[in-house]
Amino acid sequence: MISKTINLTLKVWRQGRKEPIGRLETYQAKDISTDMSFLEMLDVVNEDLTKAGKEPIAFDHDCREGICGMCGAVINGRAHGQEKKTTLCQLHMRHFKDGDTIVVEPWRARAFPLVKDLVVDRSALDKIIMAGGYISANAGGAPDANAIPISKEVAENAFNAAACIGCGACVAACPNASAMLFVSAKVSHLALLPQGRPEAARRARAMVQAMDACGFGNCSNETECEAECPKGISIVEIARLNREFFKSEFS
Amino acid sequence: MSAEVKLDAKIPDGPLAEKWDRHRFNLKLVNPANKKKFNIIVVGTGLAGASAAATLAELGYNVQNFCIQDSPRRAHSIAAQGGINAAKNYANDGDSVWRLFYDTVKGGDFRAREGNVYRLAQLSCNIIDHCVAQGIPFARDYGGLLDNRSFGGAQVSRTFYAKGQTGQQLLLGAYSSLMRQVAAGMVTLYPRREMLDLVVVDGKARGIVVRNLITGEMETYSAHAVVLATGGYGNVFNLSTNAMASNVTAAFRAYKKGAFFANPCFTQIHPTCIPVHGTYQSKLTLMSESLRNDGRVWVPKKPGDKRKPADIPESERDYYLETKYPSFGNLVPRDVASRNAKEQCDLGKGVGETGLAVYLDFADAINRYGQDVIAGKYGNLFEMYEKITGENPYQTPMMIYPAVHYAMGGLWVDYNLMSTVDGLFVLGEANFSDHGANRLGASALMQGLADGYFVIPYTIGGYLAGTRFPEVNPSDNAEFKAATTAAQAKIDKLLSINGKRTVAEFHRELGLILWEYCGMSRNEEGLAKAKTLIQKLRAEFWEDVRVPGASQDLNQSLENAGRVADFLEFGELMVDDAIARKESCGCHFNTAYQTEENEARRDDDNFCHVAAWEYAGDDDSPRFHKEPLVFENVELSQRSYK
Amino acid sequence: MNWFFELLRASIGKKLLMALTGLAFCLFLLIHLIGNLTLYGGKDLFLSYVDHLHALDPIIRVAEIGLLFFAVIHVFTGLLLFWQNLQARPVRYQVNKNAGGRTLGSATMPYTGIFILGFVVVHLLNFHFIDHSQQSVFQAMDTTFSLLPYVIFYTFAVIVVAVHVSHGFWSLFQTLGANHIKYMPAIKGLGVVLSLLVAAGFGFIPVYVSFLM
Repeated sequence: MISKTINLTLKVWRQGRKEPIGRLETYQAKDISTDMSFLEMLDVVNEDLTKAGKEPIAFDHDCREGICGMCGAVINGRAHGQEKKTTLCQLHMRHFKDGDTIVVEPWRARAFPLVKDLVVDRSALDKIIMAGGYISANAGGAPDANAIPISKEVAENAFNAAACIGCGACVAACPNASAMLFVSAKVSHLALLPQGRPEAARRARAMVQAMDACGFGNCSNETECEAECPKGISIVEIARLNREFFKSEFS
Repeated sequence: MSAEVKLDAKIPDGPLAEKWDRHRFNLKLVNPANKKKFNIIVVGTGLAGASAAATLAELGYNVQNFCIQDSPRRAHSIAAQGGINAAKNYANDGDSVWRLFYDTVKGGDFRAREGNVYRLAQLSCNIIDHCVAQGIPFARDYGGLLDNRSFGGAQVSRTFYAKGQTGQQLLLGAYSSLMRQVAAGMVTLYPRREMLDLVVVDGKARGIVVRNLITGEMETYSAHAVVLATGGYGNVFNLSTNAMASNVTAAFRAYKKGAFFANPCFTQIHPTCIPVHGTYQSKLTLMSESLRNDGRVWVPKKPGDKRKPADIPESERDYYLETKYPSFGNLVPRDVASRNAKEQCDLGKGVGETGLAVYLDFADAINRYGQDVIAGKYGNLFEMYEKITGENPYQTPMMIYPAVHYAMGGLWVDYNLMSTVDGLFVLGEANFSDHGANRLGASALMQGLADGYFVIPYTIGGYLAGTRFPEVNPSDNAEFKAATTAAQAKIDKLLSINGKRTVAEFHRELGLILWEYCGMSRNEEGLAKAKTLIQKLRAEFWEDVRVPGASQDLNQSLENAGRVADFLEFGELMVDDAIARKESCGCHFNTAYQTEENEARRDDDNFCHVAAWEYAGDDDSPRFHKEPLVFENVELSQRSYK
Repeated sequence: MNWFFELLRASIGKKLLMALTGLAFCLFLLIHLIGNLTLYGGKDLFLSYVDHLHALDPIIRVAEIGLLFFAVIHVFTGLLLFWQNLQARPVRYQVNKNAGGRTLGSATMPYTGIFILGFVVVHLLNFHFIDHSQQSVFQAMDTTFSLLPYVIFYTFAVIVVAVHVSHGFWSLFQTLGANHIKYMPAIKGLGVVLSLLVAAGFGFIPVYVSFLM
């Protein structure tokens, strides 16, 4: 690890919990090791702010290994930053140059109301799952795990869709703030598996209606979601969601 | 409670294999029509919490479920990589419930209860069945049946997995079941809430005090039983593989309300993590220990050798694990591998900028099998390593270092998973029950789900059916009021100190003390020193910490301050426990108690027990209680890896 | 009928309308193009094509009404979606950057769509709503394309149509659920071919009429 240090200018969206509008504020991030993650860089800025008697920047984060989906911000116009298949906590400072100016904004969508600074409320995604993102199987009644063989290919396709971490980057990156990639990932995951088939029609319909009710935009196949998804979920899932939805409506 | 209190684990009578069946029959049942009259609080939405909340709701109870994150799906169980064990014996390689039970007891260095572990092994099969029914996309072979792999040195293939994201898939399964019950109105979900106190009324757990992390308001909730599934306390070390929000607060406040804390010094340190790179490092990332199947661990022979690894000739490299443990080599158990890495670095032979790392070299494996084969096995891990470190492990050796990973200790519970406070149940990593002094790979997921899906639904019914509950109204109950006032007072105090040092600085310092003196190897002198240092640091914290912001707001500095304040007390409890256990076992390695081969030397005559600590007030030392461990079915033996 | 209105209320239902009407327009474009290509065969060939077309008058009437109906749906639904999408992000980003998914076509769909609506109106005024007893379509074309601004406008408009089609064609298949790893590249390729054909086939007509004929 050959680390060096860089100096950066940050323009970070600041907005109090009760403030109707916010603003970009400028901070200097000095002596940032290129081995740090973006969030560790924000930690350093926050330590400085605390010592200077100012309030640190609020941002969501938890596992810091790219799997919990808690973190996320738009970095210079890109959800989770410019690196492919990367969450913000896995974006490392070696991808920035000394003297860079970095604009940090929260996810923007009507369905994700801003809470404070970079923190937004993503409970709309939970509401969509509540509408049908499950298989109705109570604990205790399951047959033997090997009772229904599932081909390796189908299992892997289901896994690829199930890899969604629910971070909301697809919504943030979509020019229309649509949540179709998120919804399609769950619908696909469960529709592909035989266990999920009995409820597939009801699920697709209910989840799409819940998505619409939450105030997300409409999909216009811009494919920005696919390009920004940290888990590489494909818009093939959206096509499958469309099929499942039509099947349920027309049958 | 008096000092003579006898800890009754309530292990059912009868042969090991029949205990759970008999117990289920003997437990009282709640009439289905009455279930909806019972409120149950579940704190935490990880594997244990979400599975418990969902299953209790399926049975018809009213559940209130709390989590610290913005969504239940983010609990740290999501980060588990390797897999989940089950005694299905699908591989036809000699596995059985008995073998899983035996491996777990032996792996825990004989410091876990036989009854609990056997039940865990039995339930492991039901877990897999249920998870498949839920739609967990486990790995499958070409015939469409479930695939298994051998994990963590186990001699049978009993680990079910979903690529390197088993924890994620299992958690999302539990989360989906939970959300189904939320939609059905059986579970009320309270995200972004941090539990700050347990409310005990007339000797029974009847509610909790939480802080709404958005508004900063104190909120109280009452119930007939409280279930804690709040995870482990590894973050007491500051740097660990745990998520940033993982903390001991809920468990520790329960401890202060009368729940005993068991074996707090048992923390697992995982050998293959990406090393620390600087002071501002916030967390450590684990890489699957399967890497040690093909990687060779080495350091330069000469201390302080700063040459590039490629410039160090074969003759000047020290493959210390292969030399020291000729039969197991690089595959020695987690604790042994960790301890040896630290030893080499303490000798000045550590590599990298900080000198706190050892090489894990794949050059030989790549030469022998070709890069394609190695990429096929470990491709995603190599990518992850490169993303974090910026180095390509196909070309230059990986650098690894041990990191705190899992807490085997936790709140003491009996066979029903009930703590020493009536009506307070503790599940998953937050309890202490099943892993003894060392946890085997792929067993944490198994335990969390067994507790939540298949144990608590029965045992909580037994408690509720056999208990009388007077009405409790949080708005006019003295205990609720007192707990709320105390929690708010602590917050106001933290905000009023306005000192010079940040919360993170205190946390870092506490972590270094524990890592140095209560980490991979311990000794009397160091532990005594740590105790003094922690007391000093704690005093300084309460005089000089600076917590910016307001109480009635989203204030992450304040959240951290509260957690670190509890870590500063809990750290001392860990040290007390380590001092009291005058033997070595599993993860607890006291240098005074080792075999001639430098292995942990247990003292089964004097320490074959669970150490349970009772809170005795802020100014008094905690009281020690002992639950003797009885082994009727396995023979206690000494581990050796030479 | 409940299910039908439920379908139309859903975001995917509206997308279905866009896709189906869009598919109809793609087919229309293709037929229109094939017909117009007769122009390159000279005036006589072109006029005989026009005559043949008029011989099918009742069918043409039905097709016209159908196209009008589709156009109303396509335009109305498109505008509704556009408006809803603007509403979905009330606070915009300070810095906007594409991740690599967006294309010129996809980013401009609403704008090219509105432009095409205007173009179609002009186009119909020029060639459809004229007194066909006074002048033939060929004469109308000759008059129109003798004016340079019309040549430029028509050429530009046809390029805009091609840009619209470049996203619309593959996108309609995606919306209909026809996206498969194996076949999607071919569909995308077809979309590119169709938009190039539209741009070249139609786009060259004004130039051809005004300068070469």
